[in-house]
Amino acid sequence: MNMNSSSEFGFFRLVWRNLSNRPYRNIATVFAFAIIAATLFSSQYLVNGARESLDAGMSRMGADILVVPEQYAAASQSVILIGQPNSFFFADEGFGKISRIPGVAKASPQIYIATLFASCCAAPVQMIAIDPEHDFTVSSWLKQNPGIKLGKDDMIIGSSIVQNVGNDLMFYGHTFHVVGILQRTGMGIDNSVFVRFEDAFTMADESELKAVKKLTIPREKVSAVLVQVEPGYSPAEVAQEIQEQVPGTKTITPSGLLNAVSGQLGAVTRILVGSTLAVTIVAIPLLGFISAMVAHERMKEISILRALGAKKALVMNIMLAESFSLAIIGGLIGIGAAMGILVFFQDFIAVTLKVPFSMPSPLSMMVNGAGALLLSILVAGLSSLYPAVLINRSEPYAAIRRGES
Amino acid sequence: MIQASGLTKAYHTKNSDVVAVDDARIEVKSGEFVLILGRSGSGKSTLLGMLAGLIRPSSGEISVEGLDITTLPEDKIAELRARKIGFVFQFSGLIPTITALENVMLPMLFCSGGPGCRTRAVDLLKKVGMSDRADAYPRTLSSGEMKRVAIARALLNEPSLLIADEPTGDLDVDTELEIMELFRQLNHEGTTIVMVTHNPELVPYATRTYGMNRGKLVENTNSADMCIGTYGSTRT
Repeated sequence: MNMNSSSEFGFFRLVWRNLSNRPYRNIATVFAFAIIAATLFSSQYLVNGARESLDAGMSRMGADILVVPEQYAAASQSVILIGQPNSFFFADEGFGKISRIPGVAKASPQIYIATLFASCCAAPVQMIAIDPEHDFTVSSWLKQNPGIKLGKDDMIIGSSIVQNVGNDLMFYGHTFHVVGILQRTGMGIDNSVFVRFEDAFTMADESELKAVKKLTIPREKVSAVLVQVEPGYSPAEVAQEIQEQVPGTKTITPSGLLNAVSGQLGAVTRILVGSTLAVTIVAIPLLGFISAMVAHERMKEISILRALGAKKALVMNIMLAESFSLAIIGGLIGIGAAMGILVFFQDFIAVTLKVPFSMPSPLSMMVNGAGALLLSILVAGLSSLYPAVLINRSEPYAAIRRGES
Repeated sequence: MIQASGLTKAYHTKNSDVVAVDDARIEVKSGEFVLILGRSGSGKSTLLGMLAGLIRPSSGEISVEGLDITTLPEDKIAELRARKIGFVFQFSGLIPTITALENVMLPMLFCSGGPGCRTRAVDLLKKVGMSDRADAYPRTLSSGEMKRVAIARALLNEPSLLIADEPTGDLDVDTELEIMELFRQLNHEGTTIVMVTHNPELVPYATRTYGMNRGKLVENTNSADMCIGTYGSTRT
């Protein structure tokens, strides 16, 4: 006899043995709990990832107002949010006007240039030409070489562009030298490259000879102006003033952008929450059915426990503990699998959903995970409650005698 | 040890009422080996279930160790079973997911047996001749081996009363004799035993016998009557 194989016998050992010695029966249950947890975790992960990304991106942008051409307001949002390459312009005289509007502390013009496929990247990136003298945003996001100013043919790149400081990148036949890499925001900035106005104009001039497609950047025009409002002024009032004084422009504030994304995110959230709800609603009776079948099969076994002296509460606890254990195992598997898939495909998801996205904070993920696990446990409790009550209501000896025949 | 009177159990079905036990009276004194003999369907298992507090009687009184179990709450009866009564079923009644030794240790869940429980379980397995199969799962044991393990389990809480419902019903003659010898030994060591069977050949093991026929319980003073009488049939 192996004297070490079992020490004192207790509640948890019985629960564990019951689970581990019925692996096939439990796989279906674990799978159902994994689906529930994975669905809830995924929906929370996506929603929180988008929200946190947007918050981080907005705070890093540092601008209170973004001024864009009226007819390109939607396109400019796509540039900011997901870095979808685009080119559009409005007359630069507006920029001069914007700088002089009361309440405007700083104004920084930008030119958006949609690029062709470049050697650096799997997809076209958004090029943004800036005026380093007036810029108050890009340099403050630098992860590498913080504080560096763009010189001739220098380039700062977003975090999604897989290049190192010191590398050369060619756009429209013009070679740029990477001098800085921005921190990840989860927004369109990650997929953008920043160069000086002068270099962008030179690149455009040379493009007819050096590039497969000629690039035209109209002089005296810009695509957007980032505005920082003086303390004491309301961004909304200053934005209103800009729209009135510079006809043909549209102002976008971070809160406005947040609302736009929230609307987009709202639809996604509704689908995800709806899916979670549907999965949960289907899972409860399904798991209840599995539980009832298992309970029926184990009626004799449970009755024996009662005949030997187990109180009803103990029987109920055994059944619930088994169910909760399966829920926890399934929940952890579901959360783990969902996290793996989401992390691996997060860029693809962001592009597909057209929302900014970065991995949620560890705290946020822990809260999401705990929530998903809690839902699994709740479903486990609900689905095993009825069979447990049913078993406890039956007369144990009758169940035992039935088992004998 | 056990005193029951006016014990009746009736089951109401759609078409008729079935009286499984009809006005039974039984007394079991401490140290006795009481055999209740009867054919299948005579009501003997129902009677046993009532004596163990597993079936609520329709009427009548049952006192076990001075406690009226007909009025006790279910949890209190469960406590009484856990502390004072050992139960052996017709089938082995072992939990299939745990080993033989763990099955014997199972009552630890209901009564605080203390750290010595495991040693006692090992000793009991030795006593029933199953120490070499302690780590075996029930599915790998023969019927006789399973029955021995079930008896060892019934003895873990050191019960003053052992109730056995046709414990040898599905065993071959040799194994039946071995089990009955084990019961006799336990009885000689002081355990009170109440056992039901349909086999009158087991009468010589008992100190007192009852016969049961169509729900009626009758005490027999003459054991010889039991072997060929109304209540049983001899085994061929």
